[in-house]
Order: sequence, then C-alpha cells, then structure tokens
Amino acid sequence: MTCLLCQQPLTTKLTLAWVLSWQALPRPVVCDTCWHRFRPIESATACPTCGRAQAQRQVCQDCRQWPTEPRFYNQALFTYNDAMQAYFKAYKFGGDFRLRTVFQNVIQQRLAQLSGDLVVAIPVNPSTMQTRGFNQVTGWLSHGENTSLLKTKASHKAVGQAAKNRQDRLLTTQPFQLATSTPALTEQTVILVDDVYTTGRTIRYAAAELLENGAKAVIWLTLAR
Amino acid sequence: MQATELYGRQILLTPTEAVALPPGTQQLPAMTVTPQLVQCRRCGSVLDRQLAQLPHQQFYCYQCLTLGRVSTLTSLYHLPEPNHFSKRPELTWTGQLTATQTACATQIKQAFIRHDRHLLWAVTGAGKTEMLFPGLAWALQHGLRVAVASPRVDVCLELAPRLQAAFATTTVAVLHGRQPEPYQYQQLTVCTTHQLLRFRAAFDVLIIDEVDAFPFAANPRLYYAVEQALKPTGALLYLTATPSTALLQQVRQKKLTISYLPLRFHRHLLPTIQVTLAPKWLAKLQRGQLIRPLQRWLAAYATSGQRFLVFVPRISQLAKVQAAIQQAQPTLIGLTVHAADPDRLTKVQQMRQAQVQYLVTTTILERGVTFPGIDVIVLGADDPVFSTAALVQIAGRVGRSKQRPTGAVRMIGASHSRRLKQAQRQIKLVNRKGRRLLNDMSTLSATTND
Repeated sequence: MTCLLCQQPLTTKLTLAWVLSWQALPRPVVCDTCWHRFRPIESATACPTCGRAQAQRQVCQDCRQWPTEPRFYNQALFTYNDAMQAYFKAYKFGGDFRLRTVFQNVIQQRLAQLSGDLVVAIPVNPSTMQTRGFNQVTGWLSHGENTSLLKTKASHKAVGQAAKNRQDRLLTTQPFQLATSTPALTEQTVILVDDVYTTGRTIRYAAAELLENGAKAVIWLTLAR
Repeated sequence: MQATELYGRQILLTPTEAVALPPGTQQLPAMTVTPQLVQCRRCGSVLDRQLAQLPHQQFYCYQCLTLGRVSTLTSLYHLPEPNHFSKRPELTWTGQLTATQTACATQIKQAFIRHDRHLLWAVTGAGKTEMLFPGLAWALQHGLRVAVASPRVDVCLELAPRLQAAFATTTVAVLHGRQPEPYQYQQLTVCTTHQLLRFRAAFDVLIIDEVDAFPFAANPRLYYAVEQALKPTGALLYLTATPSTALLQQVRQKKLTISYLPLRFHRHLLPTIQVTLAPKWLAKLQRGQLIRPLQRWLAAYATSGQRFLVFVPRISQLAKVQAAIQQAQPTLIGLTVHAADPDRLTKVQQMRQAQVQYLVTTTILERGVTFPGIDVIVLGADDPVFSTAALVQIAGRVGRSKQRPTGAVRMIGASHSRRLKQAQRQIKLVNRKGRRLLNDMSTLSATTND
C-alpha cells in the first residue's frame, strides 16, 4: 500500500494493545505526514454562521455582510490551505476518484453526529458529470453518483467557479431547483453537503431553495472553509 | 485541431472536445473493459477493478493521471504518421570522433539502417551523444521521424541544445511535463519517456538515453510506451552505462544487438570498488562515532586536501554523518545535499568551484554531475536504495578528469549485498573489455608505425 497523496509506502505498526483489542486492522489510505498537513477547524471557536476558523467564537466579518438567517448555519471540517487546494486539484480536476476515501470517514462521522432528517448533496451539472464521471460530494457519502434532491438548472457551466473572482461569484443567480420526485420537506432538518465554502453564495442559494419548499432548518457541512 | 497535431499521436479528448477533427482521424477506445480485465490503452496498465471504478459502470486509469485522465468517458484520437517532412536536414556538427567512438557510431548507424534493436553499453563519461550524430544524420536524410527520449528532464534539457546545434537547419521539438509551449510536429523530437505515452506508431528511430535511470527502470508502463511510440518496423536504440539484467538477457536471447565502449575519453579504465565490511557502522554513527578505516581516510584527506563525496542511504543520516566528520577532522569543510534541498544547486556549485572539500549526499548526485578528480565513500552500500546501477554510477563519478583519471571508490556496508557484487562484476567486465581494446589499439598503432 502506498499513500494516495505522496505515493510513499504506508506502514502500519501492530501493537500488542491492538491485537488484544480484537478490532479490525485500521487501513489508512494516506500517511501521517500528509494527513497532518490538513488543518482541522476547532468548532468551539469557529464562526457560528459559516464555520470559519477563528480565535474566538463570534460572527465573522464576512457573515455580517449577509442578511441574518437563523434557520441555517455552516460547519466546516478543515481550513482551505495549500494541502487542501492540492487535494481538490487532484480529486476534482484531476479526476482521481480514489481520493474520495481520504475524507470519507471524517465526513460520515460528522454526519452521524449532526441530527438531521435528510442529507442532500450539492449536485454537479450534467456536463461535468459527463466529463468528470462523478459528483465529488456524493463520492464522500457513497458512490459518487449524481443523486440529490437538488439539480442544476443549467446543463453546463459557461465559466467554472474557480475561474471567477469574488465579485463575479456574488453576482451569480440561483443555479438550483428541486428535483421533481421529492419527498415532503415540511418540518424536516436538512443537512446540505458541499466541498468548499468560499463566498457562501452557492450554498445560500441551495439552502434558500430547500427552505422555500418547506424545510424547517438547514445545516451545511463543507469539507473546507 | 490541425492534422499535424495528430500525426503519430494518440490524443485524449472528451466527446465535447472532439469536434472539427481532420478527415481520416481514427477514434480508438481509451480502455479495454471485459469481465476479466480493466486495462488502460494509453499506458497499458492492468488496473484493479475496484480502484478504477467510477459511478455508472465507468472506469478510469489511475496510473497515468499526470498526462490527463484516461477513462471510458474519453477516447484516443490518432492519425497515422505520414512522414511529411519537406527539408532534409544536414549534420552541421564539425567535431571529430575518436577511433573507438567511430567504430560504435558506425554500428549504431548500421542498426538504424537494418531497423534493428540495439544496445550501446558505453562507460560513464564516454561521449555518447556525439556517437549518435552519424546515425541521426542518416535517418534525417532519409526522411525518417526520430525521437531521443530520456527518463530525466534535466538530461532532455541538456541534450536538446546539443542536438539543435548539431542539426542547425532543422528545429528540434522539446517535450516534457514542465513545458509551457504547445506541441509542434517536427522530424526530430527530444522528450521525456513519459511523453512517449502520447505517441502511437510515430517514430522510425527511437533512442532511449539512460535506460537504467529512475523512473524508467522500475516502470513497466514506460516500456509499453516505447513499444507504442515506435513504428512496427522502427529501429530502437538503448543507451546506458549500467545495463539491467533484463536488457542483458534480451542481448543473450538475440532480441537486441549490442556494442560496447569500455574506455573513457582519456583511455583509462574505470576505478574499481573497494568494499569494507563494518557491521556496526550504523550503530556507531547513532552514537556519533565513525568506524576506524573511515577515520583513517578522513585524516588522509585532511592532510592532502583531496576532495570527496560521501553517499548515505537516508536523508535523516546526512546531518549525523556531517557532525561526526566535523568532530573527527575539524579542519574539513563540507555541506550536505538531498533532493528536496532548496539550496541544492548552489551547494553543488560550491563543490564544483572547490569552495568546500566534501559533500554528504543521498543518491541524487549518482549521475549527471562531474566534479573533476574526486574520491567517493559510500556508507551503507548494502542498503536497497543503492541499486546495482546506482553503485556503478557512483563509482563512475571518480576519475573523470584527464589530470586525475583514477581515484578511490570505497564502500562501507554491513554485508556483501548481491547488488554490490553485481556492481563489482559489471565494472570488472567493462574493464576487461577495455583492457583488451587498449591492447588491440597498441598493436594496431605499432603495426601502422612500422
């Protein structure tokens, strides 16, 4: 086995404590050095609205500019740093679907901790699905198919998100609509999962769409902030 | 897309990109998927079905991702190589080959004419590139498409200007991963072996320099790439100073012809490896001590001022070795270098300018660098990181100048590893051939003088 990120051989040390614990052998997919380059966000001090890493728990500068909406908040797992950027480059743009396993466990654990009735992934548009072959968010959740309560209005993106600046991104219009065969959202708490929270524009549109259709509250979970 | 971009190539395109293709373009499936097998058609890797799986029964290749992802959602596009070259480039190089080089150069040219597979085993520092010129000139004159490929980017970058100067009337195309310039269709191409994955039945003559170097040696995909990039009737030439047993086996099976150049340009034999067994060298090093013989050699270097390189197997040992040397001989001044060192180039430069007396290094300095008149010490020579080829290359750092054509190659290890013995045997073999050649030459010159 080699580390999925740095291709160095992975070694697991067997300890007596592990042998006696009668547990399954842990099979890491990345090495310790690579894993520690990702910076987890301390949720106790993070911004309560967008999940940004901060020294103290308070609404961050960025979130004060958005209209307050008590029915949703974001949780982010990791800070968006160089390691995370390299990860997304290889996973989304390089298309290395094996890399979903790097964060599969952490995301699924956090989902289990959050008390939600429904899990909804941000969809990708059909043309991305055609070239990339998978939805990066559902890859962490299950098998990377483009199944979601939401779907994109446009069949392809004219300009990718990564190519836009902050102003352009804030000016985008509602890209999502509810899929036709939707169970009733009334009085449901929905967990909305996305890959990166950058300006908050995309995820606010997605949340608005769900709230308009009767959801009680929306919790966002993003891998990076 | 221009037709010239597709001649002899296999270009990866998604259905949306594959518009306005020139007439006659062949669309080839990018992967073979059967119930038994998932295989990439570009790099030939047989893939693990589970790892290569995408949703909806699609598959991708995780082995050659760096060149753009091959998947069942894409296809490879190809036009057969037509050899549309208007000019017939001339050799503008005016240098002279020595008698032994000429003999090898003729054999290479003959191999090209016969469309054969050939191995040139020339010792480190023999002047391999110049020996290619007569053969290359013949091939270019006959309108053949030629590529010179090497596993290492720095080798490519060094080769390209020399070839460009030798064939000044044509343009040499250079292809490698860090290249920003777009692809251009040229008769003579210099590229890394990875880039060969983008070619299909393109080259009439394909030359692979430093076949034994990482990553080519340990990578079956690159051998597949060579077979793909070569025309079925093409000629193939391997150049190396340290052929692997697999290559030599092909020679024995008569699948490859071989020519030797066992003498360096200054006509001295290769320095041989002296092995010192010291089972406890590592344990002593951990305590900050050096083994006795090493202390003796260092003392001699401190008085003579002789410069030297110390090779160690692991980056973590660099600092310890330097500290121990510092303690044993405080007058010696040296530096440590490894692959990820940001100051690597300046440190090597300092050694070259004789500002420091020694460098402690990992295998990165095993090839491609020349410090005239140095000695070499290898610690932990039995460690698996030192392959046979690496050990021969390390020994080849010594005696590269006309002023000091000999020198000491001392290897310290806990045991005689097979790799170490093979390295000694290879050097012995080359030296035996070299000695015979020297004898022949002396009788030849004696008879011509008569």
